Amino acid sequence: MTTEASTPSLSPEDRAYLRSLAPATPSPYHRLNPLTKAIVATVSTLAAFVLGGYVAPAAILVLLVLPGAIAARVTARLVRVALLISLPISISVALVSVFTRAGTTVLFTIGPFDATLEGVDFAAQVIVRLFVLAMALGLFGLTTEPRAFVVDLERRGLSPKIAFAAAATLETIPLMIERALAIQAAQRARGLDTEGSLATRIRGVMPLVGPVILSSLTEVEERSLALEVRAFGKPGRRDLLWTLPDDARQRILRWALVAAFVALTIGRVAGLVPALP
Amino acid sequence: MSSAWLRVGVAAVVAIVVLVVGLAMFGSFDTTANPDTGLVAGSNSFMLVLAIALLVGFLAYALLEYLQTRRLDSITRQFDTRTIVLMPIAIAINIVLGQTVGTALKIPLYLDSIGTILVGALAGPIPGALTGLLANLIWTFVLAGTPFGSPYAWPYAIVAAEIGLLAGVFGYYGFFRSRPNTAIPQLAGGLAVAALILFGLVFYGVLPFYAKGFTFFGDTSGVDQFFVVIAYAIAIGLVLALAALAIQLFVKRDLGVAFIVVGGAICGVISALISAPISAFVFGGVTGSGADILVAAFQQAGSSLIEAVFQQGLLQDPIDKTIEFIVAFLLLQTLSRRFTARFPQGERAVGVISA
Amino acid sequence: MLELRGVSYRYPGYARQVLSGIDLSLADGEIVGLVGPNEAGKSTLCLVASGLAPASVGGTLGGEVLIDGRSIAGQAPFELASRVGLVFQNPNTQRSGVTATVFEEVALGPVNLGLELAETVERTRWALATLGIADIAGRDPMRLSGGQAQLVAIASILAMRPPHLVLDEPTAQLDPEGTRLVGEALRALARTGTGLLIAEHKAELLDAICQRVVALDGGQIVLDGTPADVFEDPRIAAIGVEPPARVRIAGALAARGVAAPGPIG
Repeated sequence: MTTEASTPSLSPEDRAYLRSLAPATPSPYHRLNPLTKAIVATVSTLAAFVLGGYVAPAAILVLLVLPGAIAARVTARLVRVALLISLPISISVALVSVFTRAGTTVLFTIGPFDATLEGVDFAAQVIVRLFVLAMALGLFGLTTEPRAFVVDLERRGLSPKIAFAAAATLETIPLMIERALAIQAAQRARGLDTEGSLATRIRGVMPLVGPVILSSLTEVEERSLALEVRAFGKPGRRDLLWTLPDDARQRILRWALVAAFVALTIGRVAGLVPALP
Repeated sequence: MSSAWLRVGVAAVVAIVVLVVGLAMFGSFDTTANPDTGLVAGSNSFMLVLAIALLVGFLAYALLEYLQTRRLDSITRQFDTRTIVLMPIAIAINIVLGQTVGTALKIPLYLDSIGTILVGALAGPIPGALTGLLANLIWTFVLAGTPFGSPYAWPYAIVAAEIGLLAGVFGYYGFFRSRPNTAIPQLAGGLAVAALILFGLVFYGVLPFYAKGFTFFGDTSGVDQFFVVIAYAIAIGLVLALAALAIQLFVKRDLGVAFIVVGGAICGVISALISAPISAFVFGGVTGSGADILVAAFQQAGSSLIEAVFQQGLLQDPIDKTIEFIVAFLLLQTLSRRFTARFPQGERAVGVISA
Repeated sequence: MLELRGVSYRYPGYARQVLSGIDLSLADGEIVGLVGPNEAGKSTLCLVASGLAPASVGGTLGGEVLIDGRSIAGQAPFELASRVGLVFQNPNTQRSGVTATVFEEVALGPVNLGLELAETVERTRWALATLGIADIAGRDPMRLSGGQAQLVAIASILAMRPPHLVLDEPTAQLDPEGTRLVGEALRALARTGTGLLIAEHKAELLDAICQRVVALDGGQIVLDGTPADVFEDPRIAAIGVEPPARVRIAGALAARGVAAPGPIG
């Protein structure tokens, strides 16, 4: 092909088209930069665990999680998802902690098990923390496309290779799940999952392991060659098709959140910040 | 290259500072909750603090390089295309097996680290550690709300990283090599050495945690006995499964089995030591799997929370990790040499191809 | 100009020479077909011609591979990507898995090359148009037919504008519809002036568009000439390659003493 004498430039139509490739953002909260949303989620979760008690997690929910959920109009869905995630382990926590924690005030007795007030209190605190975790993470998951997060990280300097690995994981998992489910169904039809001794069940794992894993692994060679042919791993920055906007206000908010969290943690551990109920 | 040495130096200093501070602040293995801070005082555990210190040191190294060059090239240079392509598949294997096997097949094992071990053995300790870390974080943060999400996986990311790191080191020293048709004297000698190491591990690393509060025919209270019998039953079942797998390989006179079992046991003990404080602190001793009944059993038998969690972990983790190491070993033998040899550590891990 | 001079190649860890004494040249804009039985070394030749062997696959290369007179030895695959392209047979493993639209998938190569955004967009549009898939630019790459996916794979390589393009059995895993699509795409490719080296079992495709055909057997070049010369040579069937229909029909007629009425098809 003949070399172009002038470098092409992007037309407004092209710009609009490229913008349309980015994930949809139906609310102001969605439009926030992924890193901001990630930091909100992380700080909320970690602060709930560090501060403990009941007041702090409630405050975190009200101050950090609910405003975002309302702005993104996902509150109902978020609460449903969060309950779904935290319910199973909450039951386990309750069962184990309520009856086995050493305590002095016995509330009631079921057979040989004594339920203590201390046990109920401990279990309740753990459950509250887990609920905050589920809410914070759920909010991030419902308002952020993983692809967008990876693209934003690359714009901030993450290596394109690692960005690729992170993004590729997101496709590989559903694919592998489909394969695993198909094989699982076949196994169940042959009665290999719940019947039989432990040794039989262990042997039942290998047919699951075999096809799913081996077929994925043997593809690695072809996939890496196909990627290398497309200049994968070429050093230097890439000019990406679309990026997520960021602004000074969000940057300040992020640093403020991190600083507040670090201060609270140090204060807590050093005993300067009292334990809230 | 002085900037690289500066980074290493700073990272080492940061790691040591975190280690010292961490040990000083949480200075005991006490297992009751401190009424003031609400933190379980025993959440330190030397291994956990060490692991966190290493991680922070590594992050300091990476951060410094990022500030210097706006990139992280000295780390990413170790990851070639095959590693990058393998990692998502390995992460998916971790998540799918971990979620499926534990629930659907109802086996009291985790089996969520096989991908991590493969990457560690084939590509090296850093890719292995990163695979484990990312797998647990993605399992929770990205898959939250989907049927394959697990909100309990994220704190164990550091354990997963340690598994990948160890697998990489073991792979580097050829622990995953098959050594078939070993002469009987050498086989016996190897097994003796392995048995000795395992005995040492159990005696010094495991038994101290069982010293108190674990009686078999102790109190005549029916409750105690019930839980204790269940605990033993599960333990014996797991050990039998492990023995069955190991014996199948011994039949081929493959000395590699000895290496694998030792590697898996070491990895399991270290993993249990790191994850017990996490279980106790983050989830109140509940791991979200069938292991909870073991924890409850040990508590009923008289252990405190964190003691019970240690006891459960030191029972389940070494067996689970050894089984996973064996599965990874079998997988590596099954995969063609042409596949494994091109990985950064492939030839060291699986052995040099002859002809 | 892409040249292989006295090339021999051995995979890592294997003693057998998969290729030996290969002399092959691909002039700018020339279209060359590559035929041969299974295990003849066609895929290996494609890997060597594109530089992936030994750069990515390892192994030992004897002789020289030259582009415009300069050896490509020691160059990393990402350096060679914009000079020699390679298309494989499996449309699924060529899909990157990290893009949500066909447009982004085709643009991935230029983006990896570090090109400016405007240049990337132009090359992507050109590649999509050349292969006639501009209408599916917004589709999810995961939900395409085999033939469409293979077209996307070819477009992804074409978007990097390599002067030479090697294709290793591009229709092997496709159904008849997919084969037809790719066949048309190859004709369109031929018109762009890109030099093509196409390894194929389906001789009809090569018969129609190639200026030269090379026959490979046991790692060595057995025949090298125009399609007519090579496909009508009796040795072609002897090494296990099925010639195009016209040749087989002519042969069958001749066996019955009937002269073929000129070129068929």
